[in-house]
Amino acid sequence: MKKYVTKRVLMGVLTIFVVFSINFLIIRLAPGSPISTIMGKDNDDPILRAALEAKYGFDQPLILQYFIYLKNAVTGDLGLSIIYNKEVLAIIAERLVPTLLLVLTAALLAVVIGTFMGMYAAKHEGSRVDVFFSGISYIFNSMPAFWLGLILIIIFSSVFGLLPSYGMISSRTTLTGVDYYLDVLKHMILPVSTLVLVEIPIYFRIAKSSIVQTLNEDFIVTLKATGMSERKIFNKYVLRNAILPTITIFGISMGYLITGVALIEIVFAWPGTGDLMLTAINQRDYPTLMGIYLIMSVSVALVMVIVDIIYATLDPRIRF
Amino acid sequence: MDRVLELKDFNVTYKNKTKKVYAVKDINLTINKGDSLGIVGESGSGKSTLAMAILRLLPERNTEITGSSNFANKDLVQASEKELKEIRWKELSVVFQKSMNALSPVHRIGEQIEDIYRVHKPNARKEEIFDRIKALLRLVNLSERVFKMYPHELSGGMLQRVAIAISLIHDPKLLIMDEATTALDVVTQGQILEEIVKMEQTLDVTRIMITHDISVVATTCNKIAVLYAGELMEVGYVKDILKEPKHPYTKGLLSSIPSLSGEKETLTGIKGHLPDLSQKYEGCIFAPRCEHAMEQCGKSKPSETQLTGENRVWCHLYSQSDRGEQLDISKNLAEVNR
Repeated sequence: MKKYVTKRVLMGVLTIFVVFSINFLIIRLAPGSPISTIMGKDNDDPILRAALEAKYGFDQPLILQYFIYLKNAVTGDLGLSIIYNKEVLAIIAERLVPTLLLVLTAALLAVVIGTFMGMYAAKHEGSRVDVFFSGISYIFNSMPAFWLGLILIIIFSSVFGLLPSYGMISSRTTLTGVDYYLDVLKHMILPVSTLVLVEIPIYFRIAKSSIVQTLNEDFIVTLKATGMSERKIFNKYVLRNAILPTITIFGISMGYLITGVALIEIVFAWPGTGDLMLTAINQRDYPTLMGIYLIMSVSVALVMVIVDIIYATLDPRIRF
Repeated sequence: MDRVLELKDFNVTYKNKTKKVYAVKDINLTINKGDSLGIVGESGSGKSTLAMAILRLLPERNTEITGSSNFANKDLVQASEKELKEIRWKELSVVFQKSMNALSPVHRIGEQIEDIYRVHKPNARKEEIFDRIKALLRLVNLSERVFKMYPHELSGGMLQRVAIAISLIHDPKLLIMDEATTALDVVTQGQILEEIVKMEQTLDVTRIMITHDISVVATTCNKIAVLYAGELMEVGYVKDILKEPKHPYTKGLLSSIPSLSGEKETLTGIKGHLPDLSQKYEGCIFAPRCEHAMEQCGKSKPSETQLTGENRVWCHLYSQSDRGEQLDISKNLAEVNR
């Protein structure tokens, strides 16, 4: 098990390194440069350009830039944002908390609700509830998340005026303590619901199908033949076997959420990394962009390692 | 002799909204204490359906069982889920074909054995369970080490031995082995069959062995029931039937097996396929494939004909009621026996 964990962690580090290197290249392959952005449209003074390039290190050969950046990144220095003129790490840290709040809440809610729905539908296969769940899961699964977000805003904010449609805290207020948290919670409802609604179908279907499949396994028939109670068979033997695909999907879907939440953040003007990333892309803010990508790949790799370890503790066949 | 299991007019029908499949039809069969009965037939003949129906493990939603199946003073066909739970494993246990999937892959074997043991003895101490299973594992030539192992760490043969050991955990009256050795290589199969026979000398268990392999029956059973398309063709003592099969189908089955010794001979086999079981047939179900089919075989179902001892056959060649065609039959018989 120790060997397995070490191997997974090393694989995670390697993944981060490869993603880091590819990102470094891709960003620089895109047309435009941060220097042009800083200089503005009408200014084309070669001396200013040279001075700016020297200031940010863009006059160095690409390979040297790469190694300098790599060396700094390893020590935790992600450089200065060209646009905000602040430490990239500080900017990201400030934006990361709201994003994680959104992603983790949504992911946990979706996996719990989706799995329970799947369990119910599998136990009562062919029942009305099952048919209803299955039908509705297809509808939500085929909706683009940002579109669903907009529809929820129209319904709950515009028409009924029940919930705030943008931001994380109400503007022009100075709430403290419990009131502050309640305010954040209220702002979270719509974006989290959007993410949960599009994620539930994934967990619902995987849970249902793997439970139905496990129920038909030979060892379940054997256990029934021993006279063991249905409840014990289900709670101990079916669930433990059927939960494995859910864990795999959880890992994959977390990776998707961490990167894909950007669109939802923009729809709800959520002050997370998504909004920061969009600005950084538009302004060719290389250091900020690289920083966001790095943090994202680290998060995804971390989730994958955790998922792999959970999987290995649940399934003895995986350990080696 | 003590009767362990008695099937009377036992029928199993699979059904859905549009179709019915008559998988097992009008089975009348008695199994006495100490018997080891081999039920043979080709794939799709209803052997496993019969076993699963006796065990009441078929999904109730799409199966219909009629007739009666008397076991331990109860009719298993009518028994409630609660009554079945009482009987299961304590009186009636089973070993399935796919030993690789017979245990949960993510739980230790010992843990599963403990759970199974506690179904009928919920307050059993760990040592008591361990002692019991240790003795059983020794019976099937396994070390107690498997207690701490996961199923994937064992070979198919070892898992099958574990499954057999588990099936004996509560000293069942009747043990059903559904193709229990089919998935194994012949060497392992031979070893396990030998162990089963040896084991039974010390245990008080009656066994039903379901298989498509007549040689398995020859080595481990004293009685045989030949099933074709869900119907009994011939029942009797192994020693009689293997030496002198009466039913043309049994003859066909036996002639499909190559022999290791003796003169070189051509294997004949049986031409044709199993009939469509969603249809009901007027005459003998084997008639379309039978070399000796007569006019009446297509018209009426052959009734049970008592032969010597407990041997019985369902075939017009031997029907008592059709004396009118005696001449014809004796001609056929002469041909069959040639």
